[in-house]
Amino acid sequence: MNKISIPIGPHHPLLKEPLSMRIDISGERVLGGTLRLGYVHRGIEKMAQQRTYIQDVHLIERICGICSHVHTSTFCLAVEKLLEIEVPPRGQYIRALLCELERVHSHLLWLGILAKHVGLDTVFMHTWHDRELALDIMEGISGGRVSHAANQIGGMRFDLSPEQEELVRLNVEKLKSQVNGVLDVIENEPALRARTQGVAPVSADMIRAYCVVGPVARASGVDVDMRRDDPWPPYDQLDVRVITRPEGDAFARTLIRVLETRESLRLCEVLLENMPDGPVAVRSPRKVPAGEVVTRSEAPRGEVLYYLRSDGSDKPARVKVRTPTLAVLSLLPEQLSAIHVADIPVVLAGIDLCIACADR
Amino acid sequence: MLRGILSLLIFPGLAFQVLCGLIFEWIDRKLLARFQRRVGPPWYQPAADLVKLFSKEDLMPEGVYDLVEVLLPLISLSAVLTAGLYIPIAGFTSFSFEGDLIVIQFLMSVPTLAYYLAGIASVGIYSFLGGGRSILQYFSYEVPLLIAISGPAVMAGSWSVAQISQAQLGMGPFVIFQPLGFILAVVGLIGKLKRDPLDIPSASTEVVGGSLTEFSGAKLGFWQLTMNVQAVVGIFLLVNLYLGWLNFTAPLVVVGIFLLECLLMVLVLSGASAIFARLRIDQLAGLGWKILVPLSLLQLGFVILMGV
Repeated sequence: MNKISIPIGPHHPLLKEPLSMRIDISGERVLGGTLRLGYVHRGIEKMAQQRTYIQDVHLIERICGICSHVHTSTFCLAVEKLLEIEVPPRGQYIRALLCELERVHSHLLWLGILAKHVGLDTVFMHTWHDRELALDIMEGISGGRVSHAANQIGGMRFDLSPEQEELVRLNVEKLKSQVNGVLDVIENEPALRARTQGVAPVSADMIRAYCVVGPVARASGVDVDMRRDDPWPPYDQLDVRVITRPEGDAFARTLIRVLETRESLRLCEVLLENMPDGPVAVRSPRKVPAGEVVTRSEAPRGEVLYYLRSDGSDKPARVKVRTPTLAVLSLLPEQLSAIHVADIPVVLAGIDLCIACADR
Repeated sequence: MLRGILSLLIFPGLAFQVLCGLIFEWIDRKLLARFQRRVGPPWYQPAADLVKLFSKEDLMPEGVYDLVEVLLPLISLSAVLTAGLYIPIAGFTSFSFEGDLIVIQFLMSVPTLAYYLAGIASVGIYSFLGGGRSILQYFSYEVPLLIAISGPAVMAGSWSVAQISQAQLGMGPFVIFQPLGFILAVVGLIGKLKRDPLDIPSASTEVVGGSLTEFSGAKLGFWQLTMNVQAVVGIFLLVNLYLGWLNFTAPLVVVGIFLLECLLMVLVLSGASAIFARLRIDQLAGLGWKILVPLSLLQLGFVILMGV
């Protein structure tokens, strides 16, 4: 059969964000593909250099629409390191609580999209219904569903009242029982397994060669998780269970996200239980002493790294962001060989794209 | 003469089948929505969709065979409407002759072939892929479907749908004797209608809109109508073949039971869409030839042995 090349993106029902791929196929077999990025490049790193640190927190929140809080947390952490100030324990706990809730909502979103891609719309609707509750909890904490504007340099911008705390606790409990049903279905559904098991397996060596991080790496048996390997408080006080699977295929990636959702909900409960009292923020000076620093966090999609250099003024000299998606994207052409056309959505879903993060 | 025209245009022809198609589509969408914790569309939504499609501008991409693209949906629609004429509705037979089951099967396959042609006559790459997939899918489900529906024919000793449903008045519904054949026929019907989970030719995340990617306006409306009427004819056919109504004298009761059986079929189709994931085309071919065909042969052999 003749080789033909099909375009996927920048506009395609498969994609929620712009990305362009040309995939060579022969009949129903995929031979390979090439990738084009940069459709949503906004020059955020350059813009960050032109704004003050305080303005940057709000700018950096706009990098990603799903994991916005973990980006600002990592950025604030970097500035706090340079300023040598420490966030009070209560501030740290609320910060981590939002991070974990964000992971829950991101993973639920992903599981729904995977189900949608394999034609299992019922599971898609049910996971997104449960995800709505996760968004409601975050709205109850910060007033925003995806953009929280919760971080400031030196801590959190607001405190949780006892009633709010109680409501969050109740809702997390409700979410936990509600989400268990749909997670069980995803874990045991034979039709979903038939479409994902053995699809595009990636070896641990390949993962290391491409510097892939996050759930994709853990699904191939690479044991990395910044919450345990390079923890910022309060993660150093928590016992984070890192989940890995040896298979490396799309099904392992699904399982990883299911198990991590459960683990994150457990962490939420632990955080709420041990929530200390006291202030949530300390005052921070406008000008940051000269120096450079690197901070890392575990975003829902893997390690997010911030490099920050200060020249002593109130504006950063350089902000460099490394998001997990870019590394995983580089692995995409490797995976797009010897699969079926019908597997393209599964492979694309499997790496959990966040193009806005990757392009910035 | 007048009666002939009336039965072509009103009952059981065009108007009745289109109306049933819209009603079934609404019930199906509503059921699916409830399975998925959604509210679902209001009752007039399928009709509103059609009105909208017919009032839209009809775009034709450069380089396609105009006449072919216009004729294909019309031919498919007339084929399924014709097939519907030969199927008794609640015991009311308008046209029937010995062997019309085979004609119905042939006419019901016309949309699939037209869909394939629409794919290759179109210039788009997704249409081409969808067309190829539809013909691959056709070869996977059609053989077990044909073998399965020959079961009732063999049992009744006739190849006329009206005769087969008459035979069940004495013998009882054939679904009791051929449960396996009924399931296979339902799977075949899902494949024929390109419904989820066998919507491989039109899977939006894989091939955008399948063969119909480049269609718009009234032409797409005719395709939509074809699918609706095809679903109606398929459901009526299976109800006649397997769920022959019971012996009642009151015509209202017979109509009621017939409608109930049709609704049951819609429920089965919606349920299948809700709980199964889409198969890959190689998985479907494997399922069709390795599992469904042997099972249908088993069922047919069983029926023949019972007759002896």
